[in-house]
Amino acid sequence: MFNPETLIRKGLPKGHFKDVAARSFLGGITYLVVSIAVLLFAKIIADGAPVLFKPEAPFVDFEFLTAKNETLHVFDDAQGNRHQLPAAAYSQYVSQHEGATQFNEQTYSYSGGGIAGPIAGTALLTIGSMILALFFGVSAAIYLSEYAKQSPFIHAIRLAILNLAGIPSIVFGLFGFSVFVLAVPVITSAPSDRSLLAIPLLIGDYFLSFQGWNSSLMAGCATLACMILPVIITASEESLRAVPQGFRDASLAMGATRWQTIRKCVLPFSLPGILTSSLLAITRVAGETAPIMFTAAVAAKDDLPWQGLKNPFDLLSSQVQALPYHIYTLAARIPSSEFTQRAQYGSVFVFLLLVAFLSLGSMILRAKLRAKLKW
Amino acid sequence: MPHEDPQPPEPAKRFQKQGFSYENAIKFFFASNAGLTIVILALIITFLLKEGLGFFPGYQRELEVYRIAGLEFVDISRKNLTAHEQITSILNRSYYAEINGNCAHQMHRSQEASALVNAYSDLTGPTRDLIVNNSQPDSSPSPEMLTNLKKNFEKQKSKALSTLPPTPHLTPEERQALIESIRSRAFDATEDPPLVASLATEFAEAREKQVKPLERLRTTIDTFESAGSELSSLVSEMTGSVTATKEKIQHADILEKDRKTLLAAASGAKDPVEREKLIAAAHASLAEKPDIEGPINILMERRPACIAVHQSLKDAAASISTQLPNSLTQPEATNLLKVAHNLWPLFLADLEKTPQTINDWNHKTPVPLSTAISSFLTGKDWVTGGEWQDFYGILPLAAGSLMISIVALTLAIPSGIGAAIYVNQFASKREQSLIKPVIEFIQAIPSVVLGFIGILIFGTILRDLSLMDSLRWIPGFPIEERLNIFTAGCLLALMSIPTIFSLAEDAINNVPSAYAEAAEALGASRVQTTFRVIIPAAFSGILAAVLLGFGRVIGETMVVLLVAGNRIKIPDFTSGLGTFFQPCHTLTGIIAQELGEVPLGSVHYRALFVVGILLFAVVLIINATAHRFVNRMRQ
Amino acid sequence: MKTISTLLAAAMISVASAQTLSIKGSDTLGAKLVPQLAEGFKAAGNADVKFEIAAEGSTTAFPALANGTAQIGMSSRQVKDDERTICLTKGVYIKEHPICHDMICVIVNKNSPLAKLTKDQVAKIFTGQVKDWSEIGGTPGKISIYTRNTSSGTYKDWQKLAMDGRDYPSSSLKMAGNEQIAQEVAKNRNGIGYVGLAYAKTAGTKTIIIDGVEPVAANAKKYAYARLCYFYAPDKPSAEAEAFMKYIESDAGQDIVRKVGFIPVKDV
Repeated sequence: MFNPETLIRKGLPKGHFKDVAARSFLGGITYLVVSIAVLLFAKIIADGAPVLFKPEAPFVDFEFLTAKNETLHVFDDAQGNRHQLPAAAYSQYVSQHEGATQFNEQTYSYSGGGIAGPIAGTALLTIGSMILALFFGVSAAIYLSEYAKQSPFIHAIRLAILNLAGIPSIVFGLFGFSVFVLAVPVITSAPSDRSLLAIPLLIGDYFLSFQGWNSSLMAGCATLACMILPVIITASEESLRAVPQGFRDASLAMGATRWQTIRKCVLPFSLPGILTSSLLAITRVAGETAPIMFTAAVAAKDDLPWQGLKNPFDLLSSQVQALPYHIYTLAARIPSSEFTQRAQYGSVFVFLLLVAFLSLGSMILRAKLRAKLKW
Repeated sequence: MPHEDPQPPEPAKRFQKQGFSYENAIKFFFASNAGLTIVILALIITFLLKEGLGFFPGYQRELEVYRIAGLEFVDISRKNLTAHEQITSILNRSYYAEINGNCAHQMHRSQEASALVNAYSDLTGPTRDLIVNNSQPDSSPSPEMLTNLKKNFEKQKSKALSTLPPTPHLTPEERQALIESIRSRAFDATEDPPLVASLATEFAEAREKQVKPLERLRTTIDTFESAGSELSSLVSEMTGSVTATKEKIQHADILEKDRKTLLAAASGAKDPVEREKLIAAAHASLAEKPDIEGPINILMERRPACIAVHQSLKDAAASISTQLPNSLTQPEATNLLKVAHNLWPLFLADLEKTPQTINDWNHKTPVPLSTAISSFLTGKDWVTGGEWQDFYGILPLAAGSLMISIVALTLAIPSGIGAAIYVNQFASKREQSLIKPVIEFIQAIPSVVLGFIGILIFGTILRDLSLMDSLRWIPGFPIEERLNIFTAGCLLALMSIPTIFSLAEDAINNVPSAYAEAAEALGASRVQTTFRVIIPAAFSGILAAVLLGFGRVIGETMVVLLVAGNRIKIPDFTSGLGTFFQPCHTLTGIIAQELGEVPLGSVHYRALFVVGILLFAVVLIINATAHRFVNRMRQ
Repeated sequence: MKTISTLLAAAMISVASAQTLSIKGSDTLGAKLVPQLAEGFKAAGNADVKFEIAAEGSTTAFPALANGTAQIGMSSRQVKDDERTICLTKGVYIKEHPICHDMICVIVNKNSPLAKLTKDQVAKIFTGQVKDWSEIGGTPGKISIYTRNTSSGTYKDWQKLAMDGRDYPSSSLKMAGNEQIAQEVAKNRNGIGYVGLAYAKTAGTKTIIIDGVEPVAANAKKYAYARLCYFYAPDKPSAEAEAFMKYIESDAGQDIVRKVGFIPVKDV
């Protein structure tokens, strides 16, 4: 008898080798990309992890995270022992060993101590810009998903969001510099010369002067918030739309107003989604260098941002160090030698660890969310 | 039981009638926040334009000063001088290529010997210096330290001696002798081992021998070189006077601006005393109009002399070209000579035209605004902060950005789309859950970290690779600069792969499953289905992914700032694929590098904003096109 | 909207800037010397002074002084007339304080056989008239020129001191700082660049003897490319700025200057 089964199994189909070739070619490319990425991480981890971790308890070298950034002094003492001391410890050493000579002294800027300043600055910038961006972004998303009907206004908003999302970060830097650093209004008794417009206020000698906030934490936050706004709006709108229409209908049918519906029946259910996607936005805000280069960042600052302030507002109007800008300085401004590697790879490692935590967190949260919210 | 509607509270109703209500206020609040996006976009455009548009009149004025101060006139002669210097350089190179080529053997021997010694001192040098420094009479080190150091030194010495570079041109005996002499010499000896010195003399003697037969060529080159000296001194003489004129004009411009500011302030001042004061200050800063005609006339009077100098240079050049040999024994030398021969007629033609240009030049020719615009858009020089004249030409920057994007996209498109197809069509669930997070995590790497990796790790690896003999066949290898277009392109490729990957995967995912089912029902294999059905169906989505990847690449700043090499020059395309291994500068990089330094409101400052506008426009167009493709796919 | 205006109002009131000593300008000074001077100053009993140091190039010093965003400007060159005028128009009368001598050293890769150059050869190399090492008797290879970026005072000083005011060739690579130049030269056999004296000892590079004069502190008078470096401050500086400048002029300050690799003002 003729068994159709054997016919099929008689041999491999004609195109089989082509199939295998195409498949393995694509697979090869994919795994090449993956392995390059993994190699990269491995290299940074191999060089950076020893800075942050140590073999004995408590396993983490908190000093690197909490110490201020200083110049590193490398020298030999009279016994031929090599010392590597950050500036403060060095001056202490010198005063303790009065009269002793230090041999072969070398100094490396930015290489001693830790990176507390940059970490604090980045944290402040991130928190500030996320507060602004979440506030405005979620409000905008509520409007778009809950109130908006087809209209030229909505069309314009969508177009604006689309375009804002594509603007290069350096253009945001230019924008932030020309608007927040140089042009936004402040209330002052002595308007500066470059003020675009000074309107005298009726109270006292004060003017509303359009002279900008200078390079400051506030200007940096505002610039970053503008940059991240379209991302937040899009993500929040998606989360809001994921809430089933039935929830709203039911609530409205019960006689609730639209605002009550949004507040009680839509926002609570979409909040986890919004927060998850904003974690990803945080990685972007924390990692950007170009927008803060001219609006907020400073290479060297010897106090933490909140130390030594006369009033709390000074925090907002002072410049800060930032981790990405610090890495730029470490890459471009100091030599790479065995003494500077600690600072260089350590900073990059810490930064990457931070980003990894945030994006891993968002991935896990998203997976949990998908599993939990099924309607 | 029918439920009776409770009456809504009165006040709310009354508000509603007038168009007010709590609800409407909330709605208005949200709407205004949504409108903020439009405001931000409008602000970006307004401020870019506000700062940027002032550039063109400012640049026009700079170009005008360039003309009326006579700098342009000097540049006519300077252009010829530069051409002369370039040809001299080529001839010299050819001459030395001939000499060095003919005694290549001796040269290699000498070089290898000194490379060997250098490699040794590189490794042991720091410790050696320590010992020497600490043994100085004025320092008082402890004996332990010296013994420690000496022990270290011995350790490093034996290590260094075992890892010396190869010396193919030296005989094994010579190598051995060299190593022995290094080993046995006192640690504080600074003079080279005798073999190095003797090889150097050997090389010098060989060169000496080569010089004799080339004497004629040498004299020819020297004659040519000295033929330019007259022009050179003329140019530097004129340079001094025109720069002085330029400074005077610029100073007057500044004072005039001050005066206007002061007067404006005066007209706004309420207090009459204050106003008087300001007006007085304004009058005080009233500059004397700088004398332009005087210096220019002196310059113009020198026209005949200038023409005569050019004429004599031309005559000299014409006679010298016939004295040059057509070929030499070394191929490289012959090549360079050929280049010189090819350049010669061009050089002569330029010199021929120069008197006409000099006579036609007039400092009163107006500089229209269009010149400023066109010289910005088509200018080949971006020279700022110089002593002579600033030029703002966008071409070198645009070319750099474009070249880097080409490299990045050439690498990222196949891998991004390939990975997307693989993950979506072929990969198992487990593979997907491995690959996707890794690629997504690449996206999260901050660009400055990639730049850091490029400058500290990748660039060096690439350069070391290019120095390997087995890779010499790759065009452009060995590369000159470790920071170049290719290095930056590779890192940007890594950066844009996630963008392209996730968007392309979305596009493939969005193809209705009915397509694939139908194809499979017709007996198509998986690969056939993928490439004949799914990819064509997802094509416009994939195209959009590529475009958005391009937008990401061209707008990236930190990687190119750190890794592209920052050479402001249109890449030299004559070197074929090797072009990709040259350094360049980019649109984004120049803003990041120079914005911090420029005085507010200066022409340079505004030029950077125009670059920003250009970037903005390019990215906007790319995005708009991409979204058109996405919409088409949706339909 | 109410929230926006509250936020704006909160932001606007906070214009009074913190009492920090903000120093901006030259990378030659700011990348190494000034941070160490600041650390020394703090160790000498002024621990409460806060420093902010931005070293992006001398040209950045003067706009910052004019705008009032810096109390001290560091510059490795003298102020230009138009820069002084710009400061004047903003009501800032700047005063010059020499703080140390510097020599711009020409550096090449350690493996280069070159040890000496004449001023003329240096000019020819940096203006691009000479493109290959063989033209001046070195081993054949295309010369790679590393220069500072345009905001640098060294960039302009070098143009005046060594290049007769001519432009750099477009083939030059513009680096963000002295250290970066040294790094690239150390890694490129055919590289040449210039750095301040304090950066001339980078591993992998060596300094070139110019017209027979070696760039060491003792030759500061004879060396062709020597220069003074300055602090610029308003004629009525803040108390911190004044104390800091006094400290630099003191022996303790000048010791640090010497230690970092510059030449104290008095030594010349």
